[in-house]
Formats: sequence, C-alpha cells, structure tokens
Amino acid sequence: MTEPAITARAFFEKARAGQLTAIRCSSCGELSIPPRELCPNCHAQSWQPVMLAGDGTIASFTVIRVAPRAHAADVPYAIAVVQLKEGVSLLGRIVDIPLEKLVVGLPVRFRPLIAKDLATSVGFGPA
Amino acid sequence: MRRVAVIGVGVTKFGLHDRTSAELFAEAARDALNDSGVPASAVQALYYGNVVGGETEHQLHTGPQAASVLGIPAVPTTRFETACASSHAAFRHAVMEIAAGVSDVVLVGGAERVLNVSTAESTEYFAYASDAVWEQPLGLTFPGVFALIARAHMQKYGTTEAQMAAVAVKNHRHGALNPKAQFQKPITIEQVLKSAYVADPLKLFDCCPFSDGGAALVLASEEVARKHRKPIWVLGSAAASDWMLLGDKRDLSRVPATERAAAAAYRQAGIGPTDVDVVELHDCFTIAEIVATEGLGLFEPGAGGRAAEKGLTGLGGEIPVNPSGGLKAKGHPIGATGAAQVAEIVTQLRGEAGPRQVEGARTGLTHTLGGNTATVLVSLFGRD
Repeated sequence: MTEPAITARAFFEKARAGQLTAIRCSSCGELSIPPRELCPNCHAQSWQPVMLAGDGTIASFTVIRVAPRAHAADVPYAIAVVQLKEGVSLLGRIVDIPLEKLVVGLPVRFRPLIAKDLATSVGFGPA
Repeated sequence: MRRVAVIGVGVTKFGLHDRTSAELFAEAARDALNDSGVPASAVQALYYGNVVGGETEHQLHTGPQAASVLGIPAVPTTRFETACASSHAAFRHAVMEIAAGVSDVVLVGGAERVLNVSTAESTEYFAYASDAVWEQPLGLTFPGVFALIARAHMQKYGTTEAQMAAVAVKNHRHGALNPKAQFQKPITIEQVLKSAYVADPLKLFDCCPFSDGGAALVLASEEVARKHRKPIWVLGSAAASDWMLLGDKRDLSRVPATERAAAAAYRQAGIGPTDVDVVELHDCFTIAEIVATEGLGLFEPGAGGRAAEKGLTGLGGEIPVNPSGGLKAKGHPIGATGAAQVAEIVTQLRGEAGPRQVEGARTGLTHTLGGNTATVLVSLFGRD
C-alpha cells in the first residue's frame, strides 16, 4: 500500500499557506490537479507533487447574482475558470478585482480564501 | 441483442403540484400502462429516476416507494441518479435488460418535487451535483456552470445574447402548443434580453424553471411490442461521461460527453445526424441547446447560435428541436426529464402530437445532460 501523492486535504492545507500544488505523472509527464490515483493519460500509478507558481489568465468567468443559501450575503460575486501558466486549470472565486474589469484573458494570481473555521478554497486576485 | 420498443407513454402536467414525487410518477405510470395496453401484472422491473428526494422530501429509497404508490410493490426496482439525466440513464438500462433477454416488459420513469422548498434551497440542492470539495464552497450554481460555458462559446465563436434569447423565444412558442407545459405563453426577444441577470451572461429567461412532475414509459421486447398499435423502436441508446471539475474540462465551449454519446448512438442505429427528423434535447439553459445542437452534429461547432437565430430549429424549420417546449417552457422536473423527452419523441413518431406535430417525422433523437456536463445520454428512435 502506498499513500496517495497528495490528498485533497493536503492540497488545501498547502493552499491555506499560499502554495498551489499539482501532481506530475512520472511516466508520461501529464500534469493534474490532485487527488488522482491513475494518470488519466497513461494510467500509470506514479505521481510526484509539483509546486505551481499561481499565475494564470481567466479562461471564462461569470457573476453570480442568485446564490445558494450559504453565499447569499456575498452577491454579486465572480467565479472564474483560470488557466494556470503550467497548463492546468482551476475554478476559483475572484477577489479584489472590480466586476466590470473582468475579461477573458485577464492575468490573475492565486490567493487562498480562508473562512472563519479555516476551511480554505481557491481564490484569484490581481496579478 | 433483441429489438426493444416503447409501447406506452405517460407524463403529468409540469409545474407546481401538491403531491409527492411518488404520486406524480404513479399518475404518469398509470397513463403509460393504459396507453400500452399491457396489464400491470406483465411488468417485470421498474427503473426509476429521482435526484433530490433526499433533500426536498426527506425521502430516500424512492424506487420501491414509487412502485408501492403505483401499486406494483413486488417488482424489482432500482433508482438511478445521474443528476438531470437520471431517467434517461434508467431508460438505457431498461433497454439493455430487454435487449439481453432478461425481461419482456419493463417500466421506466422518474419524478421530482422541488417547488415545496424555496428557490435558495433548490439552488443549493442542485449545486450538490457539482464537486463538494472544489466547487460548491466557491458558491458555484448551475446557472453559473452554464454561464461559464456561454462566456467561452461567445468568446470563441462570437455567439450573442440575442442568439441565446432566440432559443428561449422558440421554446416558449412551442410550449404554448403543449397542454402539459409549465409555461404556455409566447415571449419576445426583448423580454428575454431585459430580464435580470442570474449568472452573467445568463438572464432569468435563459434559464429553465424549477418544476414538479413525473413521466413514465412502458418498454417491451419485439414479440410483445408487435401486438401494440404503434410500437416505436429504440434504434440506439448510449451514455458518456466527462470530467467532474470545470477546471479539468479542456474546452468549455464544447460538451465532449454529448459528442461521444451521440457518436455511439448513431453507430448503434446505423444512421447520422442528417437522418434525424425531430429532436428533444437538454435546454436547461439557452446556451445548452446551442452547444447540444453542435455536439449532436446538427450544426458545425460555433454555428448553433446563428442557426437558432435563423429559425432553423423551430417547428417548420430545417430540424425542429424541442417541439414540446423543451426544459425551458415545458419545465424540468429533473428526475422525470429524460423519460418525458422520450415520451415526446414517441408521440411525435406516432403522429399524435397535434398542433406541435413535426409532419412526417420518422426518426427522432433524445439528448439528456446531467449536472455539470459530466453525464450525457443520447437515444435514437424510429417507427415502422
């Protein structure tokens, strides 16, 4: 039995400290966001953690105006798919960028969103 | 593999109901059995779709509950959950059970009840079909998912909000011809464009409603179906999946699961997109219809918006899409939708669709998408 290269819990613990982590397949080089047991490209079972710089550009975005109950107080808020410069993409909440400034292709930079209970999610702010 | 036919269909009116989802299913199933002419005693299995029963009705184990309320408690019953594609997944497995020779008559259906809870609650429950670790904590909603797809499609192909609005106007025009539809009133482009943003660039009138409703189908082997007045044959039924996380999808302007499921279904049927006369597809949002018409091969990638605007997908157009009114106007009780789409295509191929009939339709297609585009089913149908 081998431990997974990186669990979702470990990803978010590192993210809370400001560090985005991905995993790279030792066999074919595929880069992936954890957790993942098999490489989706070659099905090898040999991942290595790699640090991501956190820099990327907006691939698509939306402004949520009708929210689930837990987020109702935040509206309007923006969510974007961000393509990181290493090639993988992540969904994140946009922070500290005026909604009217959002465009596809806008450079952004990762920042952790840390709730009162320390639950962490992915955010992106100005580059 | 044996041939399989649909020999009975039943659909409740979609909209607000003061009944449980099991009651809604049972009404539709009673109508489907009566339509088929086979006795309830002939039913050998029930495949059932229901999605948020646990949340809105505090009800799990909805399969046997539905069978009990219908009055056939002893048949083996399984509940399917593939988000909004649940009863289409149930349908495909019922087709396989009959094709494999295990059963001769199988009941398929689904139902949903959500209008007994607030919009904020149902928005949250529907969001459970996106990832609970990576996506829900961000406040992602289903309009948000399709807004991200819409923005990518607009960016890549120049699709416009007016083209998306044309889909809503067309489906409301069709819904006005369907007495079972939740909305039976035509709307204008201006009304759509002036409605409030829900998740930019999608506005309220780009979105299908929350709905209660049920739908059911009786499926039969060829031997049983030959005794029926108008069997409608299942020519193919295929499923495909895709990445769960939006970040893992390589091109948000396309839905690869639609393309894969369509290719497999066309291959099974030995036909192609130009052979299809009528389509019921998953227009949970207007952009979803545009992307689906491209993924199903009805139009080239990027051409779906212009096709909608030119009226090619309306009744009387080149390829009528969603003559029932679609999810947009007919309504979208998520557990029932896949079965209801099949019911519409069967009605069309029988020539019994009244004012919304696609004249001379011989071959039909249904397409149902689950959640964040991670599940898609496509089925093809033909008449004698």
